[in-house]
This record gives sequence, structure tokens and C-alpha cells, in this order.
Amino acid sequence: MAAKDSPLKQFEIDPISSIELGGYNISFTNSSFSMLITVLVITLFLTLTVNTRSIIPSRMQLISELMYNFIAQLLSDTVGDNGKRYFPFVFSLFMFVLIGNMVGMIPYQFTFTSHIIVTFALAAVVFIGVTILGFINHGIKFFSFFYIPGVPFYMHPLLIPIEVISYLSRPISLSVRLFANMLAGHTLLKVFAGFVVSMPFFTGVFPLAFIVALTGLEILIAFLQAYVFAILTCLYINDAYHLH
Amino acid sequence: MPQLNPEFFVSQLFWLAVFFTFLFVFLWRVSLPRIAIVLEKRQNKIDKSLSSAKELQEQAMEIEKKINNQINKAKLETDEKIKEIINSLQEDVSSQLSSLDKDLEKKVSDAEKEILKSKDDQMKNINNEIANITKLTIRKITDVELSDNELNKVIEAHKGSYN
Repeated sequence: MAAKDSPLKQFEIDPISSIELGGYNISFTNSSFSMLITVLVITLFLTLTVNTRSIIPSRMQLISELMYNFIAQLLSDTVGDNGKRYFPFVFSLFMFVLIGNMVGMIPYQFTFTSHIIVTFALAAVVFIGVTILGFINHGIKFFSFFYIPGVPFYMHPLLIPIEVISYLSRPISLSVRLFANMLAGHTLLKVFAGFVVSMPFFTGVFPLAFIVALTGLEILIAFLQAYVFAILTCLYINDAYHLH
Repeated sequence: MPQLNPEFFVSQLFWLAVFFTFLFVFLWRVSLPRIAIVLEKRQNKIDKSLSSAKELQEQAMEIEKKINNQINKAKLETDEKIKEIINSLQEDVSSQLSSLDKDLEKKVSDAEKEILKSKDDQMKNINNEIANITKLTIRKITDVELSDNELNKVIEAHKGSYN
């Protein structure tokens, strides 16, 4: 298969305008453009739909309010009252990942969440933020997070390193989960799209039908992954408050 | 795999930082407070409506209580009046009955007197007739003219025998 037909070609980054700053290449690329679209969609939607501020909401306003309540409920369920101050961050994170995934579902549109560097950066922000929060709340006692009470003392040399490793792997698991889901879904779509073209006569209809079904599934996954990202962030924030 | 090509790592991180920071600040400062205000306004409205509904319900209960009290009072008053009317009617009836009784008694006694009087009159008439007939009969038979006094003496003497 030629390189131009590779299912991974859709993930290639093409610079739209080349920019260099302090010797670093910070070109505005198709990935940046996708982020711009995402941010515009979110800000415009949330601003215009709530513009009238009517007590009886329009359908569009209701969607904004539903999203607001969805994340507010998520935070209060997992973190409790302490979670309110992190609401704007968790909401931004959820909306950014959700709309980023959805924008990626538009044909020929780049999916920036399918790039490990982007998801890892987001997960790292969560990880570093939560760790700092843990130290602010508990000081040096934060290390007791790795100590599991009620376990025989001879198990600790084994369990403490496991706990440390699992804690340190949080940003990796968080970022790889999102990245891998997006990568796999979009690759699969592209592979089946290739079948539509390459299969003889009308048999291409079958992979086309599969693509339609898969698109529905991908939209579900797009939402699910944004939800998972947000709920795990909430759980990590909760850990920073309550340790065990 | 394009994801592992570090050529655009810095660019992606830079634009991610720019756009995500902008999104975060915009949502934090502009969009979310707006939605929060709308939700709060709605909650206030709902709370206000609920409390006013509760107040109205209390008022309605108060009014219902008043109406029930008035109905009870009116019932008692009506019962009292009905009793009064029945009593006064009974008194009326009994007084009328007693006056009727008196009237009747008077009429009966009057009638009795009249009957007695007319009996007496008739008796007198009969006596006169008897006297006349007796006078005529004696004159026809004996050719003796009796005076009224003598005749009366004779009749009086024989009254018990034909009475």
C-alpha cells in the first residue's frame, strides 16, 4: 500500500503557517487549527446559547445547562464540596476533550486527541496539579497515600513500590487511554474506507454500512473517553483530599 | 507513526497551552458564571414560587377555616330561629285553640239557654193551647164558662198526670 493511502496518514501534521520562536518550531498546523475550531465551537456555543439568560431555557440553552449540571454533579459526587473550586478546570477539560473528539469525527478534520503528546500534556497537567494539591493539603503526610493500612507489615516492601508505580503511571494510563481509543477508531474507519474503494462492483456497500455503524460507535466513544478523562480527574482530586 | 515524530511536539504543546489556557480562562470568567447566574435565578424563582404557593395554601386553609366557622355559626343560628318559630307557632296555636274552645263553650251555653227558653215558650204555648182547648171543650160539653183563673187552677192540679 502506498504511503499516501496509509490509514495512519490522517494523523500526519501539516504546517499551515510556519512560525519559529526562540529557535523552536511553533508552526500553526492542522492540529492547532483543529484546536482553534474546538475552542471556538465551545466558547461560541456556551456564550450564544446562554446570551438571553432566560429563566425558561431554549433548547440550546438547555444543552449548555445540561453540560454544566453534568460536570457539577460529577464533581460533587466524587469530590464533594471541596470539588467546587476545580469545576472550571474539569469542565474545560471535559469540553476540550469532548468537542476535540467530536470535531475529529468530521471527515477530513484532524483529531488532535489522537496525538499522545497532546493527551499526555493534559494528563500531566492533571497529575502535577493533583500532586501539588496533595502536598498543599497534607504536607509530608501525602506520602502515606502509598501506605495501605491494615496490611501485614511484611507486605509493605512489596506494596509500597506497587503503589508508587501505579501513582506515577496515572498520567500515562490517562493519556494513552484517550490517545489509543482515538487512534484505533480513526484507523479502523480509514481501513474500512479503503475497502469501500478497493472492493469490486457493489460489494463495497458492505464496508460502507460498517463505516456508518462504526461512526455511531466512535461518537459514543468520543463522549465516553471525555467522560472517563473528566471522572478520573475528579477521582484524582478526591485522592488529593482524602488520601485513602 | 506520525504521533511519535517529535518534529511538531513543541508546536503542539505550544498551541495546546495557548488554546486550552484561553478556553479555561474564558469559561472560568465568562461562560460558567453566566450559566451559574441563570441556574441560580431559576432556583430563586422556583424557591420563591414554592414559598408563595405555600403561603397561598396557608391563606386558603385559613379562609376555609373561616368559612367552616361561619357555616357552623349560621347552622346554629338557623336551628335557634327554627326552634323560636316553632315555639311561637305552638303558642299561637294553643292560644287560638283555647279562644276557640271558649267561643265554642259560650256558643254551646247560649244555644242551651235558647233551647231552654224556647222549650219554656213552647211549654207556655202548649199550656195556653191546653187551656183554650180545655175551655172550649168544657163549654161545648157543659156549657159552663170557666174563668182563666179557675181553669189554670184545674190544669195546675192535673199537670203531673199528663206531664
